[in-house]
Amino acid sequence: MSGIRIKNLRKSFGAYTALHGIDLQVPNGTLLALLGPSGCGKSTTLQLLAGFEAPTEGEIWADDVLLSSARGVLPPEKRGISLVFQNYAVWPHKTVAENVAFGLAIRRLPKAEIAERLDRTLRTVRLEALRDRYPSELSGGQQQRVALARALAVEPRILLLDEPLSNLDAHLREEMRFEIRQVHDLLGLTTVYVTHDQSEALVTADRIAVMKSGHLQQLGSPEDIFERPSNAFVATFIGANNELAGTSEGNGAIRVGGHVLTAPDRSGAAHGGTVSLCVRPSQVRLFGAEETGLPAEGCNVLSGTVQRSAYLGEYRDVLVDLGGGRTLRAFIPPAQSFAPGSVVTALLPIGSCQILGPAA
Amino acid sequence: MGVISTDSPDSAAAATARPAMARVPLARTLVFGAVALLLFLLVVLPFGWVLNNSVHDDLTGAWTLGNYARIFQSADLLEPLFNSLLLAVATAVIAVGIGVPLAWLVSRTDLPFRRTIRVLTLTAFVTPSFIGATGWILLAAPNSGWLNALWRSLAGTEAGPLLNIYSMTGAIFICGIYTVPYSFTMVSSALDEMAVELEDAAATLGSGTLRTMLSITIPLVTPAVIASFILSFIQGLTLFGVPAFLLTPTGIPVVTTKLAEFYQLFPPEIFLAAAYCMPLLLVTAMLFWMRRRILGRKQFVTISGKSRAGRRIALGAARWPAFGAALLLPLVSVFLPYAALLLVSLTRAWGQGLSWENLSLYWYWWALFGNSETHTAIVNSLLFSTLAATLCVMLGTVVAYIVERRMVFGASLFGAVATVPIIIPGIVMSVGFFAAYTRAPLNLYGTPLLLVAAFAATFLPIAYAHGGSILKGIGPELERAARSLGAGEGRTFLSITIPLMGGGLLSGWFLVFIPIIRELSVAVFLITPKTNVMTTLIYNAKDGGNYEAVCAMSVLLLLITLALVAAAGPLTRLTTVRRTSRKTGRKSAPAEGVLPT
Ligand SMILES: Nc1ncnc2c1ncn2[C@@H]1O[C@H](COP(=O)(O)OP(=O)(O)OP(=O)(O)O)[C@@H](O)[C@H]1O
Ligand SMILES: [Mg+2]
Repeated sequence: MSGIRIKNLRKSFGAYTALHGIDLQVPNGTLLALLGPSGCGKSTTLQLLAGFEAPTEGEIWADDVLLSSARGVLPPEKRGISLVFQNYAVWPHKTVAENVAFGLAIRRLPKAEIAERLDRTLRTVRLEALRDRYPSELSGGQQQRVALARALAVEPRILLLDEPLSNLDAHLREEMRFEIRQVHDLLGLTTVYVTHDQSEALVTADRIAVMKSGHLQQLGSPEDIFERPSNAFVATFIGANNELAGTSEGNGAIRVGGHVLTAPDRSGAAHGGTVSLCVRPSQVRLFGAEETGLPAEGCNVLSGTVQRSAYLGEYRDVLVDLGGGRTLRAFIPPAQSFAPGSVVTALLPIGSCQILGPAA
Repeated sequence: MGVISTDSPDSAAAATARPAMARVPLARTLVFGAVALLLFLLVVLPFGWVLNNSVHDDLTGAWTLGNYARIFQSADLLEPLFNSLLLAVATAVIAVGIGVPLAWLVSRTDLPFRRTIRVLTLTAFVTPSFIGATGWILLAAPNSGWLNALWRSLAGTEAGPLLNIYSMTGAIFICGIYTVPYSFTMVSSALDEMAVELEDAAATLGSGTLRTMLSITIPLVTPAVIASFILSFIQGLTLFGVPAFLLTPTGIPVVTTKLAEFYQLFPPEIFLAAAYCMPLLLVTAMLFWMRRRILGRKQFVTISGKSRAGRRIALGAARWPAFGAALLLPLVSVFLPYAALLLVSLTRAWGQGLSWENLSLYWYWWALFGNSETHTAIVNSLLFSTLAATLCVMLGTVVAYIVERRMVFGASLFGAVATVPIIIPGIVMSVGFFAAYTRAPLNLYGTPLLLVAAFAATFLPIAYAHGGSILKGIGPELERAARSLGAGEGRTFLSITIPLMGGGLLSGWFLVFIPIIRELSVAVFLITPKTNVMTTLIYNAKDGGNYEAVCAMSVLLLLITLALVAAAGPLTRLTTVRRTSRKTGRKSAPAEGVLPT
């Protein structure tokens, strides 16, 4: 088991640069989720970590061992890093047991030890009963577990998972999510888990790295990422979010259309710079235009027209047209109700708002 | 397990650091070196020697362009070129003229016995054309041919011969009928793959059968038709056996037989022969390039032997007449010549006519056991073909793997070299291997190795392309998974890639074994009495007049070939890796044969 340190990692395919200098640290034993939209370079990062690609620039270290640099790459089989592929890559010509035992046989372990570790690993992923089946006789979730068991059996120092749940149905995905976390807690492996599903990342990970177009946007705990996003992209990518684009009016203020709104400023932008006001829909409160005595203190106040309203049981999802092409989403208590077309006042608690810059 | 220190390792050291094991492993260097060396010996060296020889003088050995000048100045050397072009054009016209309608009948209509026609056409496909020529010599030699004898018995003894197989027309006929299967296979597979929905869509839009054919079917198969024309042209241009059997006796030279003549002169004009290969190479290279432009990467067709279910065009009253017409090709390319060869081979002395007393298996016994020359040739054929096919598939597969997985910088160069022999006619290959390996330091003349190498080189493009097409179906992540579990490149190749290629490798082996065992032209200049193979023995014995023995050898070769074709499918299926544990489980998909087109 070892920690991972990625320094200024760049990867170009011909003229196209897939990774623009990523810096990332994964402390020993943590589960890091690598999160980002499709094509942002998540798989590329994993292939580099596993040693299947050589970096164009930068270095990858495991503890104090240099694994990859532009000058050379330690071959995959020498790294002690197991990779579980997006499409499982379970060998169709080997049974479950043969798949799982492959890495042990490579290591020329004594027969008894192979058998013992095989049994233990199959038990960990609850596949004992299926050990003599061929992959074509397994369900997707079972194949996924074979891939996981195969990767775990060799007791790697680092485990890499590339969207391991993306091919499963919603129910199974939920189940496997916890299973992976459980296995991680059991073995304490340093794990990098690639996903483009934010709730998967929030549930499973100790730390989350958000990526976009080959740039690292933010690295932090799930709470950090959700509550203190470093820019508007992260805020919008994780959870529901309102993003009102505007220009900075100096520290703590933003001009959105004709309004000047205030909020904690985490953009670092100079006066006149492009920034956004971000606020979660769940923090927005709506009142009828005729209502008086609103608790407006400590709030930004906006008014608009209800465009549509959807009843979702737990809450109502209301879309408010603010004029000037801007809209605002609010999740309000289901007891409250506004007909489309009615004029409303929206209160945005200053403490729940953030002024954020654009994506890196 | 300690907490990771946050400061990075000494950055000055890191800037120059290399990962500890980044050196290229020795095994890898050895494998790549061996592959490069083999490709050099099998392809580059023979080809290079042909080039080099072509610019040297036969008598003085001095550097000269005189050989080329001679080709274009002497009518003696120009005539074969024109004859070859004539033969090529006529062959292509016949192949496409018969093959395309036949393919349409079999793939698209309700012709009776479609499967049988397919199988018979495949039989014609694997029949070496020089054996077909031998059969037709028995049938249509001007004096002794049976069909002519039949004609005389009908028209009177003073009537001239009806047919003369020893003529340009005869050669065109033979080349044509044995090339039809090529165009048939290419076009019928294009028709089979074509979505019926396209035709159906046209039909629902109110377009009649003829309209549909003209506006949908024909445009869709046009690339296959043009490509098969080109391929048939190349066949007609590069065939050696048929013109050697049918045209040389009447003194009509073509390029391939003229090449053989240079070797029989005294002293042999080997450097002139090398130059004489060039026009042939130039034309084939150009034609293959054109074909590539037309077909793209799809240069091989699958022969699954099954036609697709689906809507078929009803021929109505024309059904049986069409069947009769479709049967003509098997009649002339399989039934008649096979019958002639079989009958002659089964008579003790052909001159004594057909009678019960004259029937015997004597010549088979003679060929197999009684005569050391034929016995050696049979053993050699089987042995050399086995070795050559094995070498060819091994090399082709490894090259395909290196190319497909881009394992080294410039991997595609390996692939390009492995593909070059496809443009080299067999007879030119023979010239090349003779040039490269009958001199020090690599004098292999008279050794089996020379023939094995030449056979392997000739069919390397098939093995390479076949290997590549199998590897394309195996996702690289199956191999990467093994790497990340600790298996090195070699181990991964052997324990993951090879088993996954499975039956495909065996079918690839048959795919090269079958053409090798029936190959004549590659061997002609390379054999010695001790390394004779069946094809060259038949070729050399045809003038000896011992027709019974020649026929027995021909039938044996046909039997071996057909048995292999028949066995290839089931054997391949047997060895295809088991993918289910239950007996009732899903059967693995039958491996399909792939033939170069
Ligand atoms: N071998 C390659 N050659 C050229 N471009 C590549 C190559 N591999 C990846 N790319 C490009 O690099 C970018 C990042 O690819 P990557 O596979 O890392 O995305 P990803 O984040 O894993 O996406 P997804 O969620 O869809 O799997 C993509 O734009 C992709 O097209
Ligand atoms: Mg990916």
